[in-house]
Amino acid sequence: MIRKLFLSLLLLVLFGCSNDSFPSMQDEAEGSVTKFNNDTHGTYGSTYVPLSSENAVIRNATIFDGLGNMYENYDVHFSDGKIQALGMNLQVDAKEIDGTGKYVSPGIIDIHSHMGVYPAPGVRTSSDGNEATSPVTAEVWAEHSVWSQDPQYKLALAGGVTSFHVLPGSANLFGGRGVTLKNVSANTVTAMKFPDAPHTLKMACGENPKRVYSSRGPSTRMGNVAGYREAWIGAEKYKKSLEKDPSSRNLRNETLVGVLDGEILIQNHCYRADEMATMINISKEFDYKITTFHHAVEAYKIADLLADEGVCAAMWADWWGFKHEAYDMTIANVAIVDQARDGTGCAIVHSDSASGIQRLNQEAAKALAAGNKAGFNISEARAMTWITQNPAKAAGILDQTGTLEAGKNADIVIWDGNPFSVYTKAEHVFIDGALAFDKATQFMPHTDFDLGVKEWEGE
Amino acid sequence: MKYFYLILILGFSYLSLADTENSVLVKGGNVFLPDQGFVKKDLLIEEGKIVSIEDQIDDGVTGKTIYADGKYITPGLVVFSSLGLLEIGALSETNDNSSDIYNAGFDPSKAYNPFSQAVRLNRSKGVTSTVHIPGASGYFSGLLSHTKINNGWKQKKQGPLAVLTSYGQSRGDSRAAELQFMSDLMDFVRNRPEDKANYETDNIQFFFGTQNDYQFTNRDLVAIRKLLSNELPLVVRVNKATDILNVIKFADTEGIELILWEANEAHMVADEIAKAGVPVVLDPLNNIPGSFDSLNATYENVARLNAAGVKMAFYYNQGAGSHNAYLATQSAGNAVAMGVPYNEALNAITKNPADIFGLVDVGQVSVGFEGDIAIWDADPLELTSFVEKVLIDGVEQDLSNRYEELTDRYTKEKDLPNSYRSRE
Repeated sequence: MIRKLFLSLLLLVLFGCSNDSFPSMQDEAEGSVTKFNNDTHGTYGSTYVPLSSENAVIRNATIFDGLGNMYENYDVHFSDGKIQALGMNLQVDAKEIDGTGKYVSPGIIDIHSHMGVYPAPGVRTSSDGNEATSPVTAEVWAEHSVWSQDPQYKLALAGGVTSFHVLPGSANLFGGRGVTLKNVSANTVTAMKFPDAPHTLKMACGENPKRVYSSRGPSTRMGNVAGYREAWIGAEKYKKSLEKDPSSRNLRNETLVGVLDGEILIQNHCYRADEMATMINISKEFDYKITTFHHAVEAYKIADLLADEGVCAAMWADWWGFKHEAYDMTIANVAIVDQARDGTGCAIVHSDSASGIQRLNQEAAKALAAGNKAGFNISEARAMTWITQNPAKAAGILDQTGTLEAGKNADIVIWDGNPFSVYTKAEHVFIDGALAFDKATQFMPHTDFDLGVKEWEGE
Repeated sequence: MKYFYLILILGFSYLSLADTENSVLVKGGNVFLPDQGFVKKDLLIEEGKIVSIEDQIDDGVTGKTIYADGKYITPGLVVFSSLGLLEIGALSETNDNSSDIYNAGFDPSKAYNPFSQAVRLNRSKGVTSTVHIPGASGYFSGLLSHTKINNGWKQKKQGPLAVLTSYGQSRGDSRAAELQFMSDLMDFVRNRPEDKANYETDNIQFFFGTQNDYQFTNRDLVAIRKLLSNELPLVVRVNKATDILNVIKFADTEGIELILWEANEAHMVADEIAKAGVPVVLDPLNNIPGSFDSLNATYENVARLNAAGVKMAFYYNQGAGSHNAYLATQSAGNAVAMGVPYNEALNAITKNPADIFGLVDVGQVSVGFEGDIAIWDADPLELTSFVEKVLIDGVEQDLSNRYEELTDRYTKEKDLPNSYRSRE
């Protein structure tokens, strides 16, 4: 009964908001015809408020800085939500945390999650990740589907995940906008939104769109490509029309124009190497940039091309075989992409899974081992960039997080051992310098949904 | 004393008469013994069987010796999967693991393809055999059976081992009605004249059944009868704690041997499961409240079951599932991190599957058992370890696979166009 009431209230709130949003959106748009394309400060902007930061120094730990370096017997000092310094024997007046025998890394970031839009429990009534009603739904925003009470967030937090990027599903050529969230407990989506993170747009290649729309089209890969191009042509027209009438609204095209203007980052679901190359060609025809290929099972086949074009590839360590376009798996994929063109490739280990997101460090470990077995000489410190620096770059938040550098957000994980071991667990997780997870005390945010469920606790 | 000499003489003559062509000595490795864990031992395999495990075996006794100093030797992994029955998940034409015709009597093992790329990859990762998990669409999913995944056309098989069904929200009807139906179905089969099975060959519909879920052919009813005669145990995929208790009660009432599968909330009723002597087959990584049947899913499931004394076997059911069945090692490694003793976790992916399903002479490195072993460069449960050799029935296996070839093609000889690079 209470849950029903909550749902109807939620619906009411959503409906209520949608009518009020237009004036302020137009205010935001004043002076720039495209400013509303990436609304980070306006109606839908982040209202995130960090918990109060500790002033603490982690002493004598092994540190992966997320830039590819490892330091032994090092200290990390953080306060006021920011990393203040890394070094040996830091002279600071702060709470002491003994890091002897521990490892420290930046907070883990997942560039591909559906938490919130496909929450647990997985029931029809909250399965909100795919607006599979038209091949082009650039107008929808994943954040408007996110359930802030998804009990999966804290499981990811226990795996060291401090930020994650939520994308719509891959049913459509253009699936809608993605959103970057802080892994914090909040009652509204905006209070989870990562401040100043750019919006993104999900695109999808291959089997999924052509299967979902086989009866009405596209039903082939060439149909897919025509669909992308037609949509971009429409966006160009709309952009021109804005010169005459800057106030004319078109949700779908606003997103697409945001991409053409470089404000919205493309996150492109694409398994096959030849399709990725085609997508790069399309991006050149319409002069936009692809930030990341997701589920790039065949990225290793065009690793040099990806490095040349500056496109990241987000990959699983070893998933394969569930569909034809996921058949040509190699566990060395991540390493080959990473090492392309003298190590200038941008490799990311992603999850696409509420289970996998809990163990991205383990997934990176398998990818690292396979890469070195294939003849590379990749360090653990370098492999750490696959789940910290590089996903931060792909989400457009590298200026704020993703590495342990002075001035950056104090998003920090203390591991009870080497994070590339199966036996290692995250012990402490800090977000903006505030303790978010403590393994020993089981301190973590429980959502409203969790309440009353764990009847076995305390027995 | 008399017997001692007899054993000595028999043992000696066995050794001296052995065909050295068909024997292999594995020397100097850390051998995983089911009750002791890793111990430095030499291992002699003859005619496909482990015949001797000693501190020191002279390498003069055999034609072939594998030197395994510093290596880790385990039983080959026994996985639960659709390996060899499913090539590409989304392509039904490559799926031989499901049936709409049969349910309880459906045995997919005859469709096993030893040259499946998934089989080859998993073999290279230390898997030596699979328990096939059938996926028929009816009330029962089918018969479990066991197949070695060695090279070549011929595989040793054991089975059928058990009948698989599920209980809980996965069924459309009320849980209460499903229990009543199962009970009625058992009565129907129990009271069905034995000889009827001999002439009744038509597809019969049980009671008013019109949906596939409630249709049974003669073959299915014969399989169900084997549950009642305790020739086969019943495996029930069930998660909710109250459902688990109901299933235990049902099996007890009907006199059916029970094995629990998945069992996300088993930890809540661990003592009851232990008391009933029911084993559990599960993935330790299932900790998401993914359905209203699994609201209490937790990483602690395996540690609590272990503490209660429940016998467990592990499989890996994340991500791509069966294609990565070898990642049972990752599931087991995580189980250790959650508090399951190391030896117990390794047994849960080798010996325990064999014990639970009554497999004969597989799943452990012990004298008399079949020579199915994996030789690892380091701790087999660690993410960064690799399999170096695999023996099945004492025969060293070809570990090449398409995925290693793809890796080589794109990391070596890069100056040639792809299609002209080597094909091993």
